[in-house]
Amino acid sequence: MRNNAFLHFLTLLLFKQKSKHIGAVLISVIIIFLLSAVLFLSSSLQYSLLSALQKQGDFVVTRIQAGKPANTPVAWVDQILGINGVTHVAPRIYGRYFFAPRENAFLVVGIDFFDEQNNQALQRLLKDVDLKRFFSKDSMLVGEGVRKFLEAHYFKNDFTFKTPKGTFKKVNIYQTLPKQANLIDNDMIIMPIELAREIFGLGEGEVTDITFNVPNDAEWDNIITKLHLLFYDVRVIEKREVKKAYENLYNYKGGLFLILYLVTIVTFMLILYQRYSMVYSTERKEIGILRAVGWSIKDILKLKFYENLVIVIISFIIGVVLAYLYVFVLNAPLLSHIFLGGSNLANHVTFVPVVKFGILGSIFLFYAVPFLAAVLIPAWKVAVTPPKEAML
Amino acid sequence: MFLNTNGYKGWIMVVLKNINKIYNEGTPQAFEALKSINLSVSHGETVVLSGVSGSGKSTLLSLIAALDKPSNGKIMVNGELISKLPDLHASTYRAKTIGVIFQHFNLLESLSVEENVIVPLINSGFDMQTIKVLADKSMELSAISHKASQEVKALSGGEKQRCAIARALIHEPELILCDEPTANLDRANSLKFIEILQSLHNMGKTVIVATHDPLFEGLSFVRKVVHMEDGTIVEAKDSE
Repeated sequence: MRNNAFLHFLTLLLFKQKSKHIGAVLISVIIIFLLSAVLFLSSSLQYSLLSALQKQGDFVVTRIQAGKPANTPVAWVDQILGINGVTHVAPRIYGRYFFAPRENAFLVVGIDFFDEQNNQALQRLLKDVDLKRFFSKDSMLVGEGVRKFLEAHYFKNDFTFKTPKGTFKKVNIYQTLPKQANLIDNDMIIMPIELAREIFGLGEGEVTDITFNVPNDAEWDNIITKLHLLFYDVRVIEKREVKKAYENLYNYKGGLFLILYLVTIVTFMLILYQRYSMVYSTERKEIGILRAVGWSIKDILKLKFYENLVIVIISFIIGVVLAYLYVFVLNAPLLSHIFLGGSNLANHVTFVPVVKFGILGSIFLFYAVPFLAAVLIPAWKVAVTPPKEAML
Repeated sequence: MFLNTNGYKGWIMVVLKNINKIYNEGTPQAFEALKSINLSVSHGETVVLSGVSGSGKSTLLSLIAALDKPSNGKIMVNGELISKLPDLHASTYRAKTIGVIFQHFNLLESLSVEENVIVPLINSGFDMQTIKVLADKSMELSAISHKASQEVKALSGGEKQRCAIARALIHEPELILCDEPTANLDRANSLKFIEILQSLHNMGKTVIVATHDPLFEGLSFVRKVVHMEDGTIVEAKDSE
């Protein structure tokens, strides 16, 4: 019964005083939209990178000589396999091929297509490749960015690499890597390990690094120690370090936006606070009138709480939905460039929809609490002053 | 029709004992607006507080309405000490016992007449249907029913006044306080207001009017005229 009249009045005020609230709703929508878009984007990028990373080997081993990376002997593969607990050991040739005319570089990955030890990601990738046709001539798989770049430079079906010996190696473009993996594979070229060896001028029995897995992560530190004892001049890169670096990178970028968000929200809350605190404001007079006709302080705060809660909820829903559409349907124009950085090759990433409800809850709380405080504190201050003064 | 309180006639409704009101107390800008005010008003009486601007009439009304607190003294309404009421009780008192008509109407400009009128009953516990029935009665009594759905900001001064009256009457208060009710009205609207006031008197309502309008002089239904000067009562004259 009681709520019926209260709800009626609340709805009435919200509709009748639309113009008073529209500014607050608009600013709220913009702030929530930006914050949600940044968080959606960074969550999606982190998710894509981490799922790609998940399929990579747990460790990458490179030989170090005189403090710099050197070619790694393939013979190490058997020695690493000999360590208990190690699986999926695969030699790899991995390096950047510089395309001088445009100062761009491709990431060339040479792998043994027939090695069952290759990691899951590559196995999935090679599943659809007709190996007989692929090996009928020198071929490679290229990322979307590489394909577009080469096409723009009139390399439609093949590309000619220049080897360290000064000779040229023409390689057929067999297929483009799946678009979904653009974040990682955009500038990547995958080719047979022998071909990569020739292009980078590595000797027989040499690779750039070796990847392997250690399923029991409790053994990771032991394995690292064993590798150092076994080879001495070795650099071991752990997947967990790379993971941490990815996380830090996007948390850092997200953090910058968070600071901007905080500055914006503090400014907005101050404006709201001032609106209610001003000596001659409509809000102040309205509270005075309500008090004069018998509303208690509690009634006033209840009205202001629900009135502004509705505004926060509406703004939140609109802001989050717009951010979702912007990031996952429109692929975040402008913002994606800030997050992806000055990419080597133009990258057209499709963001995987990742919505973390914990994050959404946090956005709501981080917005709703200061917003309501910025309204309720001055409203309370007015409500406790004699109605006669407030109505002036 | 509204509750008739004629049966209580003669009982003391409002008692003020040694009321003082000092603004900015304890500072160099301290100003004594009311000095040792003693007054009693019986049930069903219409009392006029007269005096020039600044004589303390409005301050006295705001204390009776519990819109402000006296610096010293006691105010009793219907046997209840309201001068020291905590907020919640003061709000209940304003919501149930009194209806105030302000000089500047103090209406919510963005709402319609009917929406303004129902405001005092929003937290009363009544359902909307009952509130609307009461609002209709109140607007009818105040002769503003024909403007019920019109926004207040589009009304004339007289219509705003009648809307404020309807709002003050919706909860059927026993005591009605009017602060300079005709100060912003033309003569025709002022006379209309006096007519409404008389009908309230006839219903047995206790009415206190603070005014310096000569139209209130010699009204047959006015029981007492209290003349104030410089924060004191200089003359309290029974009309009979």
